[in-house]
Amino acid sequence: MTRYILRRVIAILPTLFLITIFGFLVMEAPAGDYVTSYIVREYGHGNTEAARIEDELRSFLALDRPVYERFVTWIARFAQGDFGDSFDLRRPVRDILNDRIGLTLTISLATFAISWGIGIPLGVYSATHQYSKTDNFLTTVTFVGLGLPDFLLALAFLILGWQFTGEVLTGLQSVEFLDQPWSLAKLLDLMKHMVIPVFAVVITGTAWVMRVMRGNLLDQLGRDYIITLRAKGVPERVIIWKHAVKNSLHPLIAALGQTLAWLINGFTITSIVLELPTIQTVYLKATLQQDVYLAGTILILIGFLVLIGTLLADIMLAWMDPRIRYE
Amino acid sequence: MQSPERPQDSIDFAEFDALETEVISVRRLMWLRFKRNRLALIGSVVLIFMYLAAIFAGFIGPYGLRETHERFPASAPLLPRFIDDEGGFSFRPFVYAMESKVDPATFKRVLTPNTDVKHYIHFLARGTPYTILGFIETDLHLFHVEEPAKVFLLGTDKQGRDLFSRIFYGAQVSLTVGLVGVSLSLIFGTLIGIAGGYFGGLFDDVSQRVIEVLISFPQIPLWLALAALIPPTWSSVQRFFAISIVLSLVNWGGLSRQVRGMVYALREEDYVIAARYVSASDWRIITRHLLPNTLSHILVIATISIPAMILGETALSFLGLGIQPPMTSWGLLLNQAQHTRVLIQQPWLLTPALFVVGAIISFNFLGDGLRDAADPFAN
Repeated sequence: MTRYILRRVIAILPTLFLITIFGFLVMEAPAGDYVTSYIVREYGHGNTEAARIEDELRSFLALDRPVYERFVTWIARFAQGDFGDSFDLRRPVRDILNDRIGLTLTISLATFAISWGIGIPLGVYSATHQYSKTDNFLTTVTFVGLGLPDFLLALAFLILGWQFTGEVLTGLQSVEFLDQPWSLAKLLDLMKHMVIPVFAVVITGTAWVMRVMRGNLLDQLGRDYIITLRAKGVPERVIIWKHAVKNSLHPLIAALGQTLAWLINGFTITSIVLELPTIQTVYLKATLQQDVYLAGTILILIGFLVLIGTLLADIMLAWMDPRIRYE
Repeated sequence: MQSPERPQDSIDFAEFDALETEVISVRRLMWLRFKRNRLALIGSVVLIFMYLAAIFAGFIGPYGLRETHERFPASAPLLPRFIDDEGGFSFRPFVYAMESKVDPATFKRVLTPNTDVKHYIHFLARGTPYTILGFIETDLHLFHVEEPAKVFLLGTDKQGRDLFSRIFYGAQVSLTVGLVGVSLSLIFGTLIGIAGGYFGGLFDDVSQRVIEVLISFPQIPLWLALAALIPPTWSSVQRFFAISIVLSLVNWGGLSRQVRGMVYALREEDYVIAARYVSASDWRIITRHLLPNTLSHILVIATISIPAMILGETALSFLGLGIQPPMTSWGLLLNQAQHTRVLIQQPWLLTPALFVVGAIISFNFLGDGLRDAADPFAN
């Protein structure tokens, strides 16, 4: 097992390197660079002076160097933990991510916990009461839930929230709490703002977990070993929760691999719509502005989490299911 | 029920008839399976209506795609009414013309209805000219009201364009981008999947690794990064196809993998081995044996992946990275609703979302029904 993990970790490195190159190239590929898009934006704001300092700005940001040179310098620093500076915010990428990771994880972990916490029991109920009225109802709801894009839900909730409370609940904090130290009032304010994004994302998430859980549990409940257990007189509760559910968790655990990356890149558009101070909003802005190091770092981070997540999921599967052997 | 044609050979069918059994063709069995799934039927009916509405967009909407009503920017829905100002009932729906006056207290322009004249809604009346499918020119509209009265079932946007009419023009893009994208994925994914599954070897290994990375990578960052690559100078038609390509580039991997799996399993079937023994060419085995046997499953996978494409187009256009004017799509219509302040003042801008959701759910239902139908012998 240790050897297997070691081998997998080593195998991650070349893939990660490919993702890095790919990420950088994709950022570099559009015509123009950060400076061109900066000038266009400034021009749009009525600042015609920006065009005059074009060359100066470009050499200041080292954008006049060839692509491969910038890539090599950046990667060399990346390996030492320095992700470069954001052109737009004029701050180290590392600081920007540090500022936002806390709130990003707060929302995504809350969403994750709720959708799995509700989805699994409901899925089990649905499967154990197949074709009952509740099951038919839940299955239909699941179908509808899967078809509701979270960002559109978030917009609808925003209007509803405004009509009921008269407040526009965008962002994660009210203005008066922005630079305050943490207090109970600030925490409550945060929770109030979290309701819309969490609910919007939870609906699709729960629907998905329920659907997978129901499908797999039904598949397991038709197997011979369940009949054997019933014949032995094992209580139904034990059969379902200890045997069938445990065996039908596999696809969910396999999906955990992608959940790790989802924690920092899920609900991107919801984040943008609700103006949440999360990593997702920075990523979109950086992509549009060709803020190469910022967008590139986030893309690589996502790729890294995908690879690590897949590895963790595989290890968990092996631990849960002794039939899986790695040699 | 009519029994299908029987092959003329030596089997005596008389004894079958005596048992009062019927021969049901596979196609018929599939249809029976599909019909049993009521949600799938509902989904397909909704989709048929949606596509018809997209084709006849000009007929359903009272106004043209680019027709602006300068005096009505960001107007709330102006609905037909049945009851007039004095409380009298009119069986024919009508609207009052709106006159803009300056409010003496606030100096703001306000629209007030002129209740003197009723403008009746005319059904099947002549209005703005338009074309159907690009070649039938006509000016017949489902309903129409004479100027200066207006009818905006879903309100207008900030340029004063009728949202109701534009939703159907938007459907032309939103409902086809998925089909074009899926067709591209189908071609690409099927070719690579069959080649990998049938021939195996190095090509199979490499393509499988690439697909693994592709499908494990989150979609939205990829969409964004690829959509940002499209040159801003491209025309809106070029952009439409570019967006379809972006969507299928992200999507083809999953399809290809499933096709490969099926071909891999079928390769060892007796009839394929028999075909090989009579030295049928690879081309013949693939096109005459493997492809027809996987086709129904491939179509199911394709149907299931259409919602993701519709959603992708909506998301990209919503963010301003997708379809560009003068074309429009549901996502682009929703783009105006992106700013919270605008949305709260003009909540009707969110109505295209209902169409997006309706289309996605209908395709999900349809895909589910087709999956049952593709396996008519399963329990």
